[in-house]
Amino acid sequence: MSLETTPLGRERAGLDSCVHCGFCLPACPTYLALEDENDSPRGRLVLMGALLDGTVERDDPVVREHLDKCLGCRGCETACPSGVPYGRLLEAARETITVDRPLPLVARVVLAVFARPVLLRPALAFARAARALGLPAIAVHLLPRRLAMPFAMLASTGRAKAGTDLSDSRAAASHPPPGAHRGTASLLTGCVMEGLFTGVNRATERVLAVNGWRMRAAAGQTCCGALHAHAGDADTARALARRNIAAFEAGGADVVVMNSAGCGAMCKEYGHLLAGDPAWAPRAAAFAARVRDVHELLAEAGPRPTSGAGGVRVAYDAPCHLQHAQRVVAPAQAVLGALRHVELVALADSDQCCGSAGIFNLVQPDVAERVLAPKLARIAESGAEVVATGNPGCLMQIGGGLVLDGRRVVTRHPVELLDEGYARGLGPG
Amino acid sequence: MRETPSFPRVTTSAFPTVADPAAPPAPVDVRALAGALAGIVGPSHVLTRDASLLVYRSDGLPGLARDPALAVFPGSRDELVAVMRALAAVGAPFVARGAGTGLSGGALADGVTLLGLHRLKRILAIDAEARTATVEPGVVNASLTKAVAPFGLHYAPDPSSQTACTIGGNIAENAGGPHCLKYGVTLNHVLRATIVLPDGTVIPLDRGDDGGYDLLGAFVGSEGCFGVVADVTVRLTPDPERVITLLADFTSVRAAADATSRIIAAGILPAALELMDQATIEAVESSIYAAGYPRDAAAVLLIEVDGAAAGLEEDAAAVETECRGAGARGVRVARDATERARLWQGRKKAFGAMGRVSPHLAVQDAVVPRTQLADVLEEIQVIGARHGLRVCNVFHAGDGNLHPNIPYDAGDPEQSRHVHQAMREIMARCIAAGGTITGEHGVGLDKLPYMDALLTAETLDAMCTLRDVFDPERRSNPGKVVPVRACKEWHGAASVRGGQA
Repeated sequence: MSLETTPLGRERAGLDSCVHCGFCLPACPTYLALEDENDSPRGRLVLMGALLDGTVERDDPVVREHLDKCLGCRGCETACPSGVPYGRLLEAARETITVDRPLPLVARVVLAVFARPVLLRPALAFARAARALGLPAIAVHLLPRRLAMPFAMLASTGRAKAGTDLSDSRAAASHPPPGAHRGTASLLTGCVMEGLFTGVNRATERVLAVNGWRMRAAAGQTCCGALHAHAGDADTARALARRNIAAFEAGGADVVVMNSAGCGAMCKEYGHLLAGDPAWAPRAAAFAARVRDVHELLAEAGPRPTSGAGGVRVAYDAPCHLQHAQRVVAPAQAVLGALRHVELVALADSDQCCGSAGIFNLVQPDVAERVLAPKLARIAESGAEVVATGNPGCLMQIGGGLVLDGRRVVTRHPVELLDEGYARGLGPG
Repeated sequence: MRETPSFPRVTTSAFPTVADPAAPPAPVDVRALAGALAGIVGPSHVLTRDASLLVYRSDGLPGLARDPALAVFPGSRDELVAVMRALAAVGAPFVARGAGTGLSGGALADGVTLLGLHRLKRILAIDAEARTATVEPGVVNASLTKAVAPFGLHYAPDPSSQTACTIGGNIAENAGGPHCLKYGVTLNHVLRATIVLPDGTVIPLDRGDDGGYDLLGAFVGSEGCFGVVADVTVRLTPDPERVITLLADFTSVRAAADATSRIIAAGILPAALELMDQATIEAVESSIYAAGYPRDAAAVLLIEVDGAAAGLEEDAAAVETECRGAGARGVRVARDATERARLWQGRKKAFGAMGRVSPHLAVQDAVVPRTQLADVLEEIQVIGARHGLRVCNVFHAGDGNLHPNIPYDAGDPEQSRHVHQAMREIMARCIAAGGTITGEHGVGLDKLPYMDALLTAETLDAMCTLRDVFDPERRSNPGKVVPVRACKEWHGAASVRGGQA
């Protein structure tokens, strides 16, 4: 059967732009960890091409295995001289082969919960309650390492912020706004961010206010659908996208701001996601054009620096969906540059994936751990006390790994560090 | 996919140690071999399923493809030696492969075992004082430079694929790169190596500095036909005190080629001297690696001078004078490291950037005397035009190493036929100019058809004799480099071995 009319078939031109040069290999975390080119972008593109050519069948276990093992980090896209749209191809290929086979049970359960606030809210409330009682930390001690990782991830979200200032950050809100009013912004509060990193969302709102943005709530927003799109469930992703577009249209703010790199990358793709839906395509494109990562907004005019010099040692790890998918690099550096109250230390291979990748670490725990191992080693070498990264998945994956290793290093979102600095006072400039 | 080139026959007795090649081959039991290899490296590092072997059908030249019988990936030196002995025990031919970035089809395994060396990626030792490093063959070229950068050193050979290609592959191909004009090719940077011969024997080789033949010199550039590198000690080069990078902009390719000859004739040896023509500039500037090359230029020269800071500005000024003397419209100097990196990024990613122009790309590699560059380049354009093709030239002008690349659609048989015919004419022209058929990509499978036009039967015969010193059974990368009768020389070898297997 011809696959030309499938989602993958429609992306054929993107597939053809690969010249097989192999420059993507060293940029691929799963190739480095698993050492088989089938687990590299070039190998997966060859398999996608073979699907379209009919050389392999849609239900071939080789295709499934290697597409499943892709993190979707898109590190290959910034290494590719031919501009192969790998992320889109991966999602199209997954959507194409998912027709013939259901996702693994754990993935289906997680995706179903995330698509339904009525299930997601109690689940996150339960997780917070367990965290408050210290249960995840106990589980980490009792369980073997493989089973302990999800608990370590949860434990990491509530760790004492070692070495950082715990004074009341709300003091930051009292800073006078800068001369210029920059506009209005609505925050996509996100599922995991609002559920487990509530403090990051509040810090984002305060930090933006200090930098001249007026925050507006956008009622009725929901999960961004990234997890569903990455897994090949484009229909659910589109349904969620429509709800978000409507909610943020009603909210009426100038920009839609993201503090989760994965959600931001997805929301910027809504135009592509809904391109085939005439009723929604223009609205989706207009919405996508309004989406900004918080680093981008802050970098537009600064951000205003914190006060002080030196302090806790902070290393920055670039979330893949910020660095490779959104190509937001300089703004993140600008935010780090404003953190005058910390000492920045270099982190080697900070552009490499940590292995989180949405729900990847739940469905491919072995691969995720092998990808995480070099990340933890580089963090140890850096001497950092805090790892800053702007994505909840990365915060939990790296944070969980640090908990399992019994390390005192903690993970923080860069805006949390900025917020804490502002609480101490604004710096000159 | 491109058709198999027909292999020219060598008419002299080219294979003195091999019995009648018509004798029946000793068949290799692939399943039994895969089982034996899995016992050495573990089942997850042996591939036998058709779908999982697809990506290993090609290297960086996707127009050529061959199906391996199986693939095996040893993860340590001991595993490598054990694998080589297991292959030898059953007389199985094999092809070594690094990152598969080669551009001559040299790492294609046609129905035989593909031996991937990419897992052998440890840097074994760095001696900053002696300026040497010892590495396994799967270490990526650029990661070696990254590892020694804190010592103010780098590994000088810098093929454009250096972010991905492996040192082992570089040795097999005697890889070059932009900076080889001044610093020399891979051969000039290899000091010692441990080799696993095709029969599983492990031997150290050196450059004969302490007496004896330079056997390592023979091994470097043998394109995988002499055996496999287990480890290699390479020379590290101190970073230059200062680097000045210039971009000269020309309104004709001839003027750019003339400038190249004038610079060298003026006694300046730039670290690199690269030419990109209009078609290449357009491809680069349309890619994410847009380097700021002038889109309306007929050609640009990317020139780098480096060395001691004292006197370097004079060198740069002399380069500019020669460029302007040849008719350069403008000469720009990179202001800082960022601009320099950007200019180089465009050059190094040019090949991939051409992927945007059309679905397929025919990549070529030839050398002509530098003084004939302008004439040959003009004739290449004429040849391209005659076949209705656009030729993109991006190459190491300083050493006359051409890379005419032709974007095309392999799905169009008529256009494909024109591409192959144009390439043959371009190669014939380069040979007629006193040049040769490969500067750095190697012969592999792609250039086999040109070998007998370039070399006499006696020379090819001598090459076979040399190969037999290392690989008398001709099991290592069979059917490459030297054209042989029907590409089946190993069959004869297997029959000679008979009961030993």
